[in-house]
Amino acid sequence: MEKPAHGIERPLVIGEEVVVRIRGLKKAFGTNHVLRGFDMDLHQGENVMVLGKSGSGKSVLIKCIIGLLEPDAGIVDVLGQDMLALEHEALDKMRVRIGFLFQSNALYDSMTVRENLEFPMRRHMVKMNTAERQERVMRALADVGLEHTVDLMPSELSGGMRKRIGLARTLIMRPEIVLYDEPTTGLDPITSREIVELMLDLQREYGTSSILISHDLNVAKLAANQVIVLHEGTAHAQGTYEQLMHSTDPVVRRFFDSL
Amino acid sequence: MDVCFGPIWPGYLRPMARSQTVRAFVEEVGDIASFTGRFFREVFRPRYEWAELLRQSFINGYRSLPLVAVTAFIMGLVLTVQSRPTLERFGAESMLPLMVAISVVREIGPVITALICAGKIGSSIGAELGSMKVTEQIDAMEVSGTNPFKYLVVTRVVSTTLMLPVLVVFADAIAIYASYIGVNIKGSVSWSLFHQQVFDSLVFADFLPAFIKSFFFGFAIGIVGCYKGFNTKNGTEGVGQASHSSVVVASLVIFVIDLIAVQITDILGYN
Repeated sequence: MEKPAHGIERPLVIGEEVVVRIRGLKKAFGTNHVLRGFDMDLHQGENVMVLGKSGSGKSVLIKCIIGLLEPDAGIVDVLGQDMLALEHEALDKMRVRIGFLFQSNALYDSMTVRENLEFPMRRHMVKMNTAERQERVMRALADVGLEHTVDLMPSELSGGMRKRIGLARTLIMRPEIVLYDEPTTGLDPITSREIVELMLDLQREYGTSSILISHDLNVAKLAANQVIVLHEGTAHAQGTYEQLMHSTDPVVRRFFDSL
Repeated sequence: MDVCFGPIWPGYLRPMARSQTVRAFVEEVGDIASFTGRFFREVFRPRYEWAELLRQSFINGYRSLPLVAVTAFIMGLVLTVQSRPTLERFGAESMLPLMVAISVVREIGPVITALICAGKIGSSIGAELGSMKVTEQIDAMEVSGTNPFKYLVVTRVVSTTLMLPVLVVFADAIAIYASYIGVNIKGSVSWSLFHQQVFDSLVFADFLPAFIKSFFFGFAIGIVGCYKGFNTKNGTEGVGQASHSSVVVASLVIFVIDLIAVQITDILGYN
């Protein structure tokens, strides 16, 4: 593992296999053309961060990947499947292989933490018995260090705890790819760092590949193998954090100069 | 030329604003129709969410009993007490149980219960789904490979459709019992005589059309609440709007259904 100065190990065992391939992705809302031909590849075991300012279309991008939004044009190929050609049931099966951590965590607020974590398992692991399900819930909570919250309601948790529970729920189905929507927004720097460390620990444990959406350069520095700068709906620049840090491109410089 | 719609004149006085309102209304009706069409496509397709349907029936049916009971009791009592002087004037006091029973069973019971449920259940569904929408919980359900329309909408609409007739029968019974108390405030009628007067006069044709229309009332409450909640926009403000417009639109639809139902029963000779 690569061990940079900040002490957090980024995943370096990156496979040749492309698990997400996006070509010419376009999405407009009326006259607002958010994505204008976005291209990217995500390799097995890799963390790619899409960096862009607010409103640049980062969330639209990952919602197009998971099928929450329908792109106007382009190719979205995930784990060898054309996501845009899948029927409802096939799409639901694919979604089980893809985890999605929402910016707002999106915990079901009428359910306890246990019920939140059990929800996807009850639906997709119907043969799993209660004891196995309970064991998996407790294991997922242990992974994020929150076993004691199992019977609490989401409203009883702090922002950082909700983010951890959201992460546990995302990973409980052992997805092959995880999409993180602004994973550290609204958190203090210490909790942000803890969440990034946790994401990387869990990634190492379960061998997932990730796309991270953020405008937070600290996340890029700590977690990303590759950083893509999303500007005016296209992949304006791509490279490692260190490569982009030394870039002279004015758009890229604007991010780094604001540090 | 740009037309400025300033705050001085209300929008309904301006032709363009008026046409936009009409267009928005037509679009909304079309959207609700499309939403209803999707409900019928999804309702018969597996997978069936029995556990959630049972939970929703418990929430929408059982938990509405106290409110429906209180309302029906007051309705039956007030109707009896207020009808008495008019009937006394014509010497038809003995017709009081019959009149109240027919009024309650045919019209007042179903409509008042439906309006009460539009307020309680419709607003609750609109607010709950609206809140889930703006906090991305519906999206979270979808990305976890669960069809949120089936899990959230189909279960709620089916539960309101099945529970409202039950609540209407319950409300009718409570209102008739309250009428017995009302009759005895100024008179003295035994329960067996009251019971005989009520059930000798009621025929199946009084009950059946009202019972059938209450399924439609329940369906309207569920589908409007779910539509409003599922299409919530503009954050927490939108949740409030979804909640209150669920009640307003469902109440309006209940009256429209009632109007259509009375025409149909009239044509069929049940009036």
